[in-house]
Amino acid sequence: MTPDILVIDDDPAILMTVADILRDEGYAVRTAAGGMEGLAAIDDHRPALILLDMRMPVLDGWGVARALRDRGVTVPLVVMTAAQDMRWGQEIGAAHTLAKPFDLLDLLTVVEQIVAR
Amino acid sequence: MSADQLLTYLSWLMFTIIFVVVTVQAIRRPSRAHLDIALLFAAPVLIIAIAIGTLLGVFSSTGVAAYLASSALLSLPYLLVRLVDDIIVAALWVRRSIEVLLVIALICLWVLPVERPAWINILLELYVIAVLIYVIFASVKATLKARGVTHRRLAAMSLGSLFLVMNIAVGSLGLWLPEQIALWRAMAELLGLAAGVSYLVGFAPPRWLRRAWQEPELRAFLGRAATLPRLPTTNAIVQALQQGAADSIGIENARIGLWDEANQVLLFEQAGQQAALSIDEDIPTAHAFRMQKPIFSPNTHYSEQIRARSAHFNSASALLAAPITAGTRRLGVLIAYAPRAPIFADDDLALIQLLADQAAVILESRVLIDQAARVHGREEAARLKEDFLSAAAHDLKTPLTTLVARAQLMERRAQRDPTAPADQASIQVLITEAQRLKRLVLDLLDATRVEQGQLVSRREKVDLVVLVHDICARLATPRHPCTIDGETEVVGYYDQQRIAQLLDNLVENAIKYSPDGGPIRISVRHEDSGINMSVTDHGIGIPADDIPHLFTRFHRGTNVDDRRFPGMGLGLFICKGIVEQHGGQIMIHSQPGQGSTFQVSLPFVPNEVVTYDS
Repeated sequence: MTPDILVIDDDPAILMTVADILRDEGYAVRTAAGGMEGLAAIDDHRPALILLDMRMPVLDGWGVARALRDRGVTVPLVVMTAAQDMRWGQEIGAAHTLAKPFDLLDLLTVVEQIVAR
Repeated sequence: MSADQLLTYLSWLMFTIIFVVVTVQAIRRPSRAHLDIALLFAAPVLIIAIAIGTLLGVFSSTGVAAYLASSALLSLPYLLVRLVDDIIVAALWVRRSIEVLLVIALICLWVLPVERPAWINILLELYVIAVLIYVIFASVKATLKARGVTHRRLAAMSLGSLFLVMNIAVGSLGLWLPEQIALWRAMAELLGLAAGVSYLVGFAPPRWLRRAWQEPELRAFLGRAATLPRLPTTNAIVQALQQGAADSIGIENARIGLWDEANQVLLFEQAGQQAALSIDEDIPTAHAFRMQKPIFSPNTHYSEQIRARSAHFNSASALLAAPITAGTRRLGVLIAYAPRAPIFADDDLALIQLLADQAAVILESRVLIDQAARVHGREEAARLKEDFLSAAAHDLKTPLTTLVARAQLMERRAQRDPTAPADQASIQVLITEAQRLKRLVLDLLDATRVEQGQLVSRREKVDLVVLVHDICARLATPRHPCTIDGETEVVGYYDQQRIAQLLDNLVENAIKYSPDGGPIRISVRHEDSGINMSVTDHGIGIPADDIPHLFTRFHRGTNVDDRRFPGMGLGLFICKGIVEQHGGQIMIHSQPGQGSTFQVSLPFVPNEVVTYDS
């Protein structure tokens, strides 16, 4: 079964680029342009991994993580953030944090490791 | 014993008591002023003693004693002038002339026979009255100039001289209206007594009276003290303290020298000029500071330096100096100057130390307020800079993330299939994101210039109406038609590039936040003494809570969806900078769901200005 990856980011260009990279590698990718849309996508089908932006309007990365915890959903999270503060990922119990701008190979390595587990 | 006799005895008793008091004072503190006042009262007491002796038959009414009494009477004006000179400066020629006249008068009295011509008696009387009028004139003049306790003392002295003149005048009435002689005598006694009391109060006021007289000014000064540390500059505080101290002591001038630790000097500021005083100098001010105690110098040849720099202290010869010290921190010195030493009293040393301590509290508060403000300002500036950098970095990283990842994706695809056609979609993404990055960098640079006040540079002749037409032609679309109203020509001197950037930004915003289309209305017109430009849309509007923050860096409306309306939140911050650096104002009127109007008012600059100074 092709692993399903959910990407949540409010910047459409980043969202599209990350999705293109992962699809090229053969992953099934779904995209969500915000926290609310991301949670809606999880309700339909639980992904193998969520790539999550932190700073988003309406429902941010912390909100998404809290909602997942509240619902008892345990999906590995990889945080993508442009912030200096790399502790944000630890705060929400992410498996890994990617600092924007990140290298394509770093992204692929992280995803591969988590999905392979 | 008749009533006028009783009055005479009472008045004799009063003069004797006053004489004893001032004599004791003169013995305890032998100074010229104290001796002079004792001498002044010695004259009437001598006259009284001779009168009593004559009454008792000890002296004959034509003997040496009578001559002595007359001599004492003639010396009174001279003694008075001496006292006046002790407190306010009398011109040297006046003193010398009065001395010469006194000698002549005394010679006339002693040498000429008792049955001397009447005109000589009249001349002697004129001499006395002339000197008294001079004393009245000099003391009234000084009274008007003086303040506080000194004003009150000089007023008492003037009144004393006035009573004395009236005393002589009323005494002379007996010659013209002899039938009322008892009444004139009684009045003369009363006036003489009033003169004596006035002189005592003026020349040697008792301590309790001085304190009572100082109280209103001291109270006013202490009342103002709490507000002084908030004055705009330390110099303003020093000026207010100097004034308050001078008023409280009752002198014309007080000076504060602030301690300059680095250069080891006391700095005096006057009329915008600074004078430095070394504390190693052998002068009372330096002594007071070095020894950290108040000093009274009755006869000061104080520093020639200060004398030269403060011309109007030339008449000052006495000074009080007290250190201004907060705890162990030496802040400076307070100096009070007076033209004559008796202006000051013994307990003024305590008073000046009290004032100096008050000054220390006020100056120290000022230092603390300044320090707190500096620390707060530095923290605020550092925090703002950090906020700005992290927000800027965050916003720059967003397009950069796409650029890096997309470029690497293209490389990977090209490696996998070198023959594949160019990835047009990816190229388009790269171009868009690179443009976005460029715009961000330019906005960031502009935002920095806003803060440095360097946004507006070269002004040139601009027709704002033409500028608006250009922008409309460039930005209007069928969904967002542009209408222009107002005047047909509004020409002034502005930074054309920046005004175009401002209007661009406002019109772009108007279009951006009218996602359902709608007309954009621009108006340009002269209004009052300036120019009014407005851009109105019928878009999503701005919630009232957001309006106050709209011009803050990186702030975006809470009803703005980032995906539909991308942006960094610098546009309006820069707009505000452009308007304000042109000396204008920008305002917003908005109704959520109805649209917004951005209103810009600029000063009308019809002629060329060389540089713009914000």
